[in-house]
Amino acid sequence: MIKITELEKFYRTEEVETIALNKLSMHVDTGEFVAIMGPSGCGKSTLLNILGMLDDPDEGSYVFNGIEVAHFNERKRADLRKHNIGFVFQSFNLIDELTVFENVELPLIYTGVSASERVKRVEEVLDKMQIMHRRNHYPQQLSGGQQQRVAIARAVVNKPKLILADEPTGNLDSSNGNDVMELLTDLNEQGTTIIMVTHSEHDARYSHRIIRLLDGQTVMENIMV
Amino acid sequence: MIRNYLKTAWRNLIKNKFYSIINISGLTLGLAVGILILLWVQDELSFDSFHKKGADIYRVEIFGGTGASRQIWTVDVAPIGPLAKQQLPEVKDQVRITGNYIFSLYKYQDKTFGDERVVFADPSLFSIFDFPVVQGNTAKPFTDDNSVVITRKTAKKFFGDENPIGKVIRADGKVNFTVSGVINDFPKNSRMDYDMIMPMSYHVKDALANNVDVNSNFSNFGYETYFLLKPGTSLKSLSAKLFNIHIAHKADDTDVEYLLQPLAQMHLYNADGTNKGMETVRIFIIIALVILVIACINYVNLSTARSMLRAKEISMRKILGAAKAHLFIQFIIETALLFSLATVLALGLIKIVIPVFNQVANKQLVFDLTNLHVWYIILLTILGTLAASSIYPALMLSSFEPLKALKGKISAKIGDVMFRKILVVTQFSFSVLLIVGTLVITSQLNFIRSKQLGYDKSHTLAFWMRDMGKHYDAVRNELLKQPGVLSVTRSSSNVIDNGSISGNNDWDGKAQGQTFIVHPLAIDKDFIGAFKMQMVQGAGFTGAVADSAHFILNETAVKEAGIKNPIGKRFKMWNTDGTIIGVVKDFHYASMKEKIAPSVFYYFTNNLSTIYIKTTGKDAQKAIRAAGEQFKQYNGEYPFSYYFLDDTFNSLYKGEQQQGVLFNYFAGIAIFISCLGLLGLAAYTAQVRTREIGIRKVLGSSVSGVIGLLATDFIKLVLIAILIASPVAWYMMNNWLQGFAYKINISWTVFILAGTISILIAFITISFQAVKAALANPVKSLRSE
Repeated sequence: MIKITELEKFYRTEEVETIALNKLSMHVDTGEFVAIMGPSGCGKSTLLNILGMLDDPDEGSYVFNGIEVAHFNERKRADLRKHNIGFVFQSFNLIDELTVFENVELPLIYTGVSASERVKRVEEVLDKMQIMHRRNHYPQQLSGGQQQRVAIARAVVNKPKLILADEPTGNLDSSNGNDVMELLTDLNEQGTTIIMVTHSEHDARYSHRIIRLLDGQTVMENIMV
Repeated sequence: MIRNYLKTAWRNLIKNKFYSIINISGLTLGLAVGILILLWVQDELSFDSFHKKGADIYRVEIFGGTGASRQIWTVDVAPIGPLAKQQLPEVKDQVRITGNYIFSLYKYQDKTFGDERVVFADPSLFSIFDFPVVQGNTAKPFTDDNSVVITRKTAKKFFGDENPIGKVIRADGKVNFTVSGVINDFPKNSRMDYDMIMPMSYHVKDALANNVDVNSNFSNFGYETYFLLKPGTSLKSLSAKLFNIHIAHKADDTDVEYLLQPLAQMHLYNADGTNKGMETVRIFIIIALVILVIACINYVNLSTARSMLRAKEISMRKILGAAKAHLFIQFIIETALLFSLATVLALGLIKIVIPVFNQVANKQLVFDLTNLHVWYIILLTILGTLAASSIYPALMLSSFEPLKALKGKISAKIGDVMFRKILVVTQFSFSVLLIVGTLVITSQLNFIRSKQLGYDKSHTLAFWMRDMGKHYDAVRNELLKQPGVLSVTRSSSNVIDNGSISGNNDWDGKAQGQTFIVHPLAIDKDFIGAFKMQMVQGAGFTGAVADSAHFILNETAVKEAGIKNPIGKRFKMWNTDGTIIGVVKDFHYASMKEKIAPSVFYYFTNNLSTIYIKTTGKDAQKAIRAAGEQFKQYNGEYPFSYYFLDDTFNSLYKGEQQQGVLFNYFAGIAIFISCLGLLGLAAYTAQVRTREIGIRKVLGSSVSGVIGLLATDFIKLVLIAILIASPVAWYMMNNWLQGFAYKINISWTVFILAGTISILIAFITISFQAVKAALANPVKSLRSE
């Protein structure tokens, strides 16, 4: 599904140039659950952003589902992204002004799904995430675990082929964290490819494969059994 | 999707009450005042614009006199209209209107009225202008010389609900006029506004009885004449032709120049193209725009500033698939929602304040939402401001880079801060401008009010004596016995705003062809003393028979005529060849907008029809009562009406006073709106710098230090605004002062004062937030990061 070759990304300020990704190559197959690990500043978030088409690489190739996207413009990337990729963040990033239902509904609005279809799909996914009873609450009224479940619901409501999770349990206690990991595992078993950035060895154990980064390069790959 | 946008917008509004209130109240005030001013402007511009043939109607005016006394008269001689119509094919029709100096009392059965505005006019008045005859014969509005056309209101007043046609109104108890037509009341935006219109033919007949042939009199400039011209007529050649007609009948009027003033321009321009009210209209348009711009700046400033705090929402929307256009539309809708709220409130506010505004502005504006013109103004204003305040923030917000925004890396970008600073400077420049304007206008108006006029007009009541004039001496003796009456005197017309002019004069050494226009005033022998005027040379009238050939000139008349050692010199006015016996010190008999012009006192007791009764002020009411009794005794049922000279004097500046008051209000509102914006920005700054303030406090900064830190940035901007605005303000106000012949100098202290005021206002505004931020517990503020 994903094949990146010799990907490079630099960050420049006036005086220093930082290399975030240094000729990184990797691939992820459809249906895989991959964890990316590494210390702060190793480039894992940069990688995730490029994979998520939120950012573009300076050099190298990124083929998504057989399409070269490295040099897509923002509009094309956005279009590809909204139909194929769901995001889960450490800090949930729910929109405070929208209710649970409305937050989950948002991606469907932007992909132009009809209103009746939206209600059906949102209710379906809220039910699956077991937060149906909270549908009219605002994010601040929920616990962290509940918020993350809403965020996951939002990420999957469009039935994306790929979910990118950036430390999804980072702001949760261990019990809520485990719940979230179970959810992701379930999604993966139903066929969704998942790439997750994490600091936690515990969480990484849920994945099929761990890619370890240091200074923008792959230093090790562990296949989980 | 739009529902979703509206929902988010509404919740955002509710969540950030403080900013919402600032934004909405600023916009509401701005829109209300902006719309109100533009309604005023629209009304001013609409004067006399409702006549279908308006584009081809012109008023015939005269540029008369030579040298310093040359001026425009809006009246001309009676024969010119009919002659022009006869001889010039381009003049399709003409109408003459002249004031009524014949009658003053109108009676129907037991009802008597005396305050009607009555004119004599040619019947073409009703065909040239759109004053349609609604009852009576349109083709022949006047059935004979003794018919009268009245307005609906007048008809109601005289006859109630009875049919007015054929009813007889008796004028001054001797002449009957039969109502032959009724017209609608004159529109409020008509320069012409009368109650009764009598036929010009009656006036002509009446004059003939006094041996004056109106239709061949080229000396009496007392008729307003309007022409209906063929489209495309050359005004220049027409005015030359009119001159030729005039000169053919009166060869010595070589200085007369005919001007044609387009009907629609009568209200705001003089016939020579100089402005009469247009300058005020322009100033008000500018003020309306300034106030709207200030309100927009508030909105732009606050929404761009606060957009940093919305970065997360925007980024998430982008990540979830929102295109730039989605976000752009979302923010436009958000602004539109806020504007809709502000609009509703503004319309309500206008409804509430319009009576007050009408009173201050001396207008009769009706805020009628069923009127299409009102909607033009409203829509124009709102769409304009909406566009001005939504596009930039929407562009800026929708172009956020989602990742950076999400990570909080979009802190105040340099460019944006600069942009906001420029906006604040703009806002305060306007404020300083308005403050300077207010100060200058106020001090000029004070200057006029307190300037020594050269005579004492205080507590003096005056009125036209009518038949009482024949018994003046007895009345005077009676009045002087009254407590509170200090002196009694009389003159030919009102000493304030003496409108009579004459060019019929001569003296030894007068240049050939020179027309010297003077303001003649017949006065009684005790007039100069009663008004405490000062004689510079010679003596006043004594009441001796010889005084009828004596003249007293004012200083200006002596100077402009160029008469050396005037006492005893020959001076001729009209048919009286006499001598100058005195020179009176210049006094202001007209508005301070005009220079003191040549004035001549003469002694002719038959003309002394205006009485002045100087009272102590305290007993003025008693004096009025006594004067009223005397008036009644000799004038029977004629109503007694009087005026105080102080009021007449004030009415000369009514326009300026109104403008001054309005200007003060508008300036106040503009400054208030600016401060709202500043308050919002200060609050935002304090919010954004919470961490910095916390750290500074931990490191030992004092409360006043923190306040200083927050205030300094803004005060710097206000200082820049003062520097920018001061020269502009000086230029504009200096221009305004040019309209006055007697004016103050704008001193530099005005700018110091305006600067101090604006800094003070800004500082007070910022202090609220600064103090709040400074007093906050640093532990809390640091934890919030």
